Amino acid sequence: MKPTQEEWNPKILAFLCNWCSYAGADLAGISRMQYPPNIRVVRVPCSGRINPYFIIKALQRGWDGVLVSGCHPGDCHYISGNLVARRRFAVLKDLLEYLGIEPGRVNFSWVSAAEGEKFANVVKDVVEKVKTLGPAERLVRG
Amino acid sequence: MESLENSIREVAKKLLSEKKVDLIIGYEQGTLPLRTTPCFVDKVEDVQKLVWNASCDANVSKYLVGRKGKVGIIAKGCDARSIAVFIVEKQIPRENVVIIGVPCLGLIDRRKVEAKLDGREVLEATVEDEQIRVKGEGFEFVLPKKDFICDSCLTCKHRNPPIYDVFVGEKVPETPEIDEFAEVSDFESKSAEERWTHFKEELSKCIRCYACRNVCPLCYCKVCFVDQTMPAWFGKTNDLSDTMIYHIVRAFHVAGRCVGCGACSRACPMNINLRELMKKTEKIMKDRYKYEAGVSLEEVPPLGEFKMDDSQEFIK
Amino acid sequence: MKWKVVEKSKMPLLIEELTKEHEVFAPVKKKSLVSFERVSSGNETYLDFQNTKTPPKEVFFPQTEILFTYRVGKKGVEIGEAQAPKRKMVLLGVRPCDARSFVLLDKFFSSGENKDLYYLEKRKNTTTIGLACNHPLSTCFCTSIGGSPFGKEGVDLLLQNINDKYLIETVTEKGEKLIEKLPWLKDAEKADIEKTKRLSEDAEKAIRSKVSVKGVSEKLDRMFDDPVWDHIHQKCLGCGVCTFLCPTCYCFDILDEETEEGKRVRIWDSCQFPCFTLQGSGHNPRPSGKERMRQRIMHKFNYSVKNFGENFCVGCGRCVRECPVNLDIRETVEKISTRQV
Repeated sequence: MKPTQEEWNPKILAFLCNWCSYAGADLAGISRMQYPPNIRVVRVPCSGRINPYFIIKALQRGWDGVLVSGCHPGDCHYISGNLVARRRFAVLKDLLEYLGIEPGRVNFSWVSAAEGEKFANVVKDVVEKVKTLGPAERLVRG
Repeated sequence: MESLENSIREVAKKLLSEKKVDLIIGYEQGTLPLRTTPCFVDKVEDVQKLVWNASCDANVSKYLVGRKGKVGIIAKGCDARSIAVFIVEKQIPRENVVIIGVPCLGLIDRRKVEAKLDGREVLEATVEDEQIRVKGEGFEFVLPKKDFICDSCLTCKHRNPPIYDVFVGEKVPETPEIDEFAEVSDFESKSAEERWTHFKEELSKCIRCYACRNVCPLCYCKVCFVDQTMPAWFGKTNDLSDTMIYHIVRAFHVAGRCVGCGACSRACPMNINLRELMKKTEKIMKDRYKYEAGVSLEEVPPLGEFKMDDSQEFIK
Repeated sequence: MKWKVVEKSKMPLLIEELTKEHEVFAPVKKKSLVSFERVSSGNETYLDFQNTKTPPKEVFFPQTEILFTYRVGKKGVEIGEAQAPKRKMVLLGVRPCDARSFVLLDKFFSSGENKDLYYLEKRKNTTTIGLACNHPLSTCFCTSIGGSPFGKEGVDLLLQNINDKYLIETVTEKGEKLIEKLPWLKDAEKADIEKTKRLSEDAEKAIRSKVSVKGVSEKLDRMFDDPVWDHIHQKCLGCGVCTFLCPTCYCFDILDEETEEGKRVRIWDSCQFPCFTLQGSGHNPRPSGKERMRQRIMHKFNYSVKNFGENFCVGCGRCVRECPVNLDIRETVEKISTRQV
């Protein structure tokens, strides 16, 4: 049953790289920083693990937004995983937005293990933006 | 055109008789007006079958992947570029292919002709320098050729193959002043809603025949992602969501490798304008990574490498 | 057999009346593409085409069809009702070649112990109204393969275009029953009936493309290992255009798809796809285009003759027109029929 506009709360899938972003999210939690509870986290070893299929599949399954977060360029635990990923994400984002997927559904960030506050802010931004976009409809399988 | 045709046959004859190649891949007359069909010549006497005209619209470089032995291939600009991509991607050794480069002033889009004739069948067609003469039951028209050129050819920046071993004929003037991404930029200026509606409408015609994938030279995976099982990522039905995703992912997979030959659009039986989508991937590569596929044998396609200062304005 | 007549200007009215008690499928033109779609009014229909892009088999045998749904619940697996619909349909504007394809497909879908109810129920509940061909395409070769431009196989009624009117010839009882629902239709005049007979003869003469299938089936029996197959497939890309646009191709794949509810889905498949015969062990008995092209020709012109007594081709020419590389099945059949074996 589709939720009404008032009762709808966005569901955002967050892929966080184990070494930086996941640790950063953890830090935000330990420091009791408040941020919206709308994300569901999937821990991946590196942002380079992210196959565009994951993001597209998430949109197809009805996730209202996707966040992919990794280490800052130069700080990747696997040296260059995030650098490889950066190009992939750029092409995927440009392509999806060209097709008409609303800008703001698919998001990327670099969050280091020390950036608990940044993580909280990124999530706040993403959730706010997705709230304005409404429930995901494009690409969702009927 | 005729003299180019004869020169091509001469070159092919020479290569075959001197045993520089085992096979020549080119085009021969099709069984319908305004059609040619790929031709595989391995005997000197068969070179007479080879033709060259504005209906040589298949990208025959498709037939190179996985082929053993030395092959000579008739290549217009776009074909030569896709061969260059194969060489860079190590799909064929450079020394195994003799690229017979031919200058091309554009292919005739038979779908444009069909649309103009509104369902009336062309029984006979002759193509002259500036016009196409079409005859059918109860009609004969002379159409200005320039109005029936394929969209991909209208924005072509490589009328002369950038890579070749033998060049047939005279080089033709290029068109550096054309903005090949004008249509894409125009489309980008529309709202996300408009763009989505447009693509939904276009792609809802798709019958998942995979002609686009199979005619594309760059789609040479032994098992395509749609055919993968365990897990099966995306469905094979013609459900709109699955269909759109098939096209998005295929566009992503050819990004940085697509040379804009337009074969996908021409092959589609449902007249879907796939070029509209594929051309965007070319623009992304040009804008972000200053890269154009198939013009250099040294440069690696963008998704195969990275640089420390890559653009990341979209990353928070 | 009755002969009625309807003015072309009244066709939208006729179709509109049919939509009251039936689901009507007719040719619709969108930009330059004509294909069969469900119409809800008489104005959407387009009958000035030569042939539709996609064959009408998709009305009885859709590209995607849900066979049944299932849910894995607390009580185990609950299976939803099979989706064979029971609604009344009218399929209008089918060319005689395509209508003949229904007769062939009927043989396949009703063969064996387990008859295909999804297809057969739809066929049973549908009245098919054909549209005779006054002007066959240059690629049409129906007369070489058992059909004809004014052929009546597979139709319940046959529309025949005589200038500003359509003659309606009743072919079956089902057709007659439908006509009874349109009592305002006038009887055709003798002159019109004579005229259409002449048009039928002219149309047959107008078929330019002749393909010799005589003896091909027997020859193919001896040609399985013939070297001719080494060359025929060379330019074939292995896409599915010929099979998907063929009115008599019926191969399908069955998949289970799960979102919240599981669905068992049937989709069109093509013998030209590389994974068509990929077995669970990893072995593929048709590893290259050569075996797959041989399969297509053998299936259409040999195996089907053995199994159903018919070549599974109706000469519509779609595969010839739409093949991205102009691989012409007529040439292939000629090569085989003239081969010394």
